[in-house]
Amino acid sequence: MKPLYFLTACLFLFAACRKDTVEQGTMELEFRNVAGNQPLTLNTATYQNAEGENFTISAFKYYLSNFSLVKMDNSEVKLPAAYFLVDQANEASRVIKLAAPKGEYRAVKFLVGVDSTRNVSGAQTGALDVVHGMFWSWNSGYIMAKLEGYSPASTAPENRLTFHIGGFRKENSAIQEVLLTAPISLTVESGRLPQLMIDADALAWFNQPFPIKFATTSTIHVPGEDAAKIAANYRNMFRITSVTDL
Amino acid sequence: MIRQAIYIACAFLLIWSCRRNPGVSPGPQPYQLELPPDFPEPVYDISQNPLTVEGIALGRRLFYDPRLSRDSTISCGFCHQQFAAFAHFDHPLSHGIDNRTGIRSVPGLFNLIWQKDFMWDGGVNHLEIQPLTPITDPDEMGEDLAVLISRLNADAKYRSMFKAAFGEGEINSQRLFRALTQFMVTMNSFHSKYDSVKRQAPGVAFTYEEEQGYQVFQQKCASCHKEPLFTDGSFRNNGLPYNAALNDAGRMRITNNTGDYLKFKVPSLRNIMKSPPYMHDGRFYDIFNVFDHYSEGIEQTPTIDPLVQNGIPLTEDEKRHLYFFLSTLTDPGFINNKSLSEILIED
Repeated sequence: MKPLYFLTACLFLFAACRKDTVEQGTMELEFRNVAGNQPLTLNTATYQNAEGENFTISAFKYYLSNFSLVKMDNSEVKLPAAYFLVDQANEASRVIKLAAPKGEYRAVKFLVGVDSTRNVSGAQTGALDVVHGMFWSWNSGYIMAKLEGYSPASTAPENRLTFHIGGFRKENSAIQEVLLTAPISLTVESGRLPQLMIDADALAWFNQPFPIKFATTSTIHVPGEDAAKIAANYRNMFRITSVTDL
Repeated sequence: MIRQAIYIACAFLLIWSCRRNPGVSPGPQPYQLELPPDFPEPVYDISQNPLTVEGIALGRRLFYDPRLSRDSTISCGFCHQQFAAFAHFDHPLSHGIDNRTGIRSVPGLFNLIWQKDFMWDGGVNHLEIQPLTPITDPDEMGEDLAVLISRLNADAKYRSMFKAAFGEGEINSQRLFRALTQFMVTMNSFHSKYDSVKRQAPGVAFTYEEEQGYQVFQQKCASCHKEPLFTDGSFRNNGLPYNAALNDAGRMRITNNTGDYLKFKVPSLRNIMKSPPYMHDGRFYDIFNVFDHYSEGIEQTPTIDPLVQNGIPLTEDEKRHLYFFLSTLTDPGFINNKSLSEILIED
């Protein structure tokens, strides 16, 4: 009988050493960049800002990071650090898969931009690799969001529009927190893939609360008051358009 | 008997399963950095980028490889010359590809792990990303980072060196910057005569002139050029007459704060006799020009530093003594350190 005791003891030991894991699942966020009511098309489509100035968009990209999910009781679950660069020119970048603990959630919270810590932490990898051209070399810090294009109203050379929005310091910070509440709850567990479709409206950059006139503002490429205003505008660019809880 | 056999078999299994994986090579060899006992804690967190013999060797090769520039003519070491404490001897303004010229002088490179901000205006906030600026600046090495990364990935020698230093995987900008950083982390200067005197090394003492100069330094220079680094790392307007041709706003360019107009980083005075010309725009070729500036040449502008506002009067004797003292800050062991010297890259 002795060996059996030994075996049983071993089994208990193994069981005790098993890591306690909360069941993980995935939530998927798909970002669809739009301009007003139309899907965003780079270079070829002409849009109009609230001031009635025509413009085209040649580049449109923004960082998303520091995701949290909000449970039904309004408590927040902070997800592991992850950084994403949504780039209109890169189809795959528009779909973000978040690993999340099993649960029922009602909202998603995230930063548009890169938190201040990662702006002062040296060489990074992945979406934060400076090779993506979203980092100022002469004045260290991430470009949180970038919109480039052309407008006849712009007084810059070649009528360019250059909006490189950044700044991580408290004063004139361009880091924006966004909370999007879903119309129905989303359940994360293994074997399911709840999905949020989110529109990001490029026109919102120039709309409210700080309407932008290209005739006077066509170039921003330093942190500061102007950049912070655009960031305060694009904070409002996101809208959940559909939810799939399957 | 059978039970014994089972126990023995179990013991063997245990030993077998705990053995080292023979397929994995030992990895890069750790490098122990020598740090001075009388300096503050480094700012750069070396534990985030553990130094290895292979990583430092790779960083040194990158530092001296002109192929990091767009037209393969300018390496980091082109402007940062060891005999000038890694400043650019005799050049007031930085040089770059296509005969381009920058707007500021080349700062010496040493004791970088104690530095909080980089560049004359402090625009760069971390040692690891400092190389991004000269590599991509059109007035310096002018290369596109993505192009450089793919060039490195296409080079068999670099692939093997990066693998030896950082393990499997593509060469990315983080590995490039961390390798360069590992080399820069070893560029430390703390073996000057001044250091030997301070550490009471047997048989080392200041001469009369050096001692007099040290006293002048302590009274009139040390509040900005703070020992033992010989800089307090601050940004100040030291009263240099405004240079309209360069129109350099200094620190204000970074902060957008008019209070920072014409302010530049206080440079270290270590190895200063080896690294003329002086000031952010290299306007003074002789250290006595610098003394004369503080003594008689201060220009009054709204952001002038209170410490120099009324000038720092220096007698001819004091200037001479300062010259002798500043010479004790030269670190021949650093200037001639074989492990930092230029290497010829032929493959």
